[in-house]
Amino acid sequence: MNFTYKQLGRFFMIMLIGMIFVGGMSSCKSKKKLAMEQAAAEYAAKVDQAKTDLTAIISGSSNWTLDEQSQRIATIKSYNIDDPEVLDMIEKAEDKVNAGKIEAERKAEEERLRREEEAKIRMERSTNAVIDNQFTAVASASSIDAANGQIQTALNQFASPDVPVLIIISKANGFNDYDRPTTALKFLHYLKDKGQYRYMVESVKRDDLGKITELELIKK
Amino acid sequence: MKYTSRLLILLLIVGIGFPSIAQQLSPERKQAVDSLALEKVRDLSKYISVIGSKETPWSEANRVIDRAEELFMQNSEIGVSSLARQEISYFSVRKYFERLMRLNYNKVEIEWYNIEYVSDLQQQPDGTYVGVITIFQRFKGYDKEGRLVYQDTTKKDITVYVKRKETQIGGRLIGFWDVLLGDIRVKETMK
Repeated sequence: MNFTYKQLGRFFMIMLIGMIFVGGMSSCKSKKKLAMEQAAAEYAAKVDQAKTDLTAIISGSSNWTLDEQSQRIATIKSYNIDDPEVLDMIEKAEDKVNAGKIEAERKAEEERLRREEEAKIRMERSTNAVIDNQFTAVASASSIDAANGQIQTALNQFASPDVPVLIIISKANGFNDYDRPTTALKFLHYLKDKGQYRYMVESVKRDDLGKITELELIKK
Repeated sequence: MKYTSRLLILLLIVGIGFPSIAQQLSPERKQAVDSLALEKVRDLSKYISVIGSKETPWSEANRVIDRAEELFMQNSEIGVSSLARQEISYFSVRKYFERLMRLNYNKVEIEWYNIEYVSDLQQQPDGTYVGVITIFQRFKGYDKEGRLVYQDTTKKDITVYVKRKETQIGGRLIGFWDVLLGDIRVKETMK
């Protein structure tokens, strides 16, 4: 076996290329493996985190708002995790968030109605207070003439002096007990004679002109 | 046919049973009715002092007499006594108030106090509640010079009748308690 220097050089060159190629191949293979392992670890971490978050949402122990919970579920869904347990938890979490949203909407509606009712009551009270004040003025007038003047002023609010005045003496289970019905004029004179107004306006009915057509009082 | 007759029997039972249930007043409602009757007696007390006061204009006194008369049952009587005589005179309600208005004093003070039940309101077979309220009346009469010329204290018993009634107001049925006063009997007169 006689090799020329030229042949020897070529042999070494081929060997060198072969070694570089084999070495490169082996390095590429280990990088890929590493990447795959890394990806698997990241996936496992995501699954764990998803389970933790979904558990918190389902049990209601998270501090997130409903919108934040929805966003979190959407993010978890975007991972496309193919784990039956996670998929089941996503379904339960979505149900929980939806129920929470429905409940929140119901509460918001209740709150809105309560505020509307309160505003209505405040409005009624301020209107009723005007009547209460006029009646108090009749009862506390310093003289008969002064009381009669107050009666005339108060009567301007009524559609007629004969408008019925109902006095509730007791209220129970939505059932009212009344005193004998009287009229606006008689009641105003009664206040003058008694010298005290110990009632509160309970309800008022008015005509198109805003005049009182029926008045309901309750004993204090 | 069978169904109809059963229904009729049921309606009859309900119809008979309902009034007796409705008449069972809860303690709260009974208390409200008791208070209402006492209030009517207090109203009368106020009316009497207004009618008796010489400072009350004649027209006002007559208006108050009308109101006071509305508190009473028809044909009720009010007893009048005096330290000067033994017998007790009874007058119709209207007559009593008219006499009160014309009493021969320059100034009259009438005060009722210790107004309370001596006999609680009891339901009668016709559904009416009847009770007796006792009052003490202090009467003082002054002459032109402002001297106290007569005074007495009288214990009086007032019979009260309370009946549940209904009336139509503004298209709805209103159940109310109608309190009416009966006779006012003099029980005792003292100085």
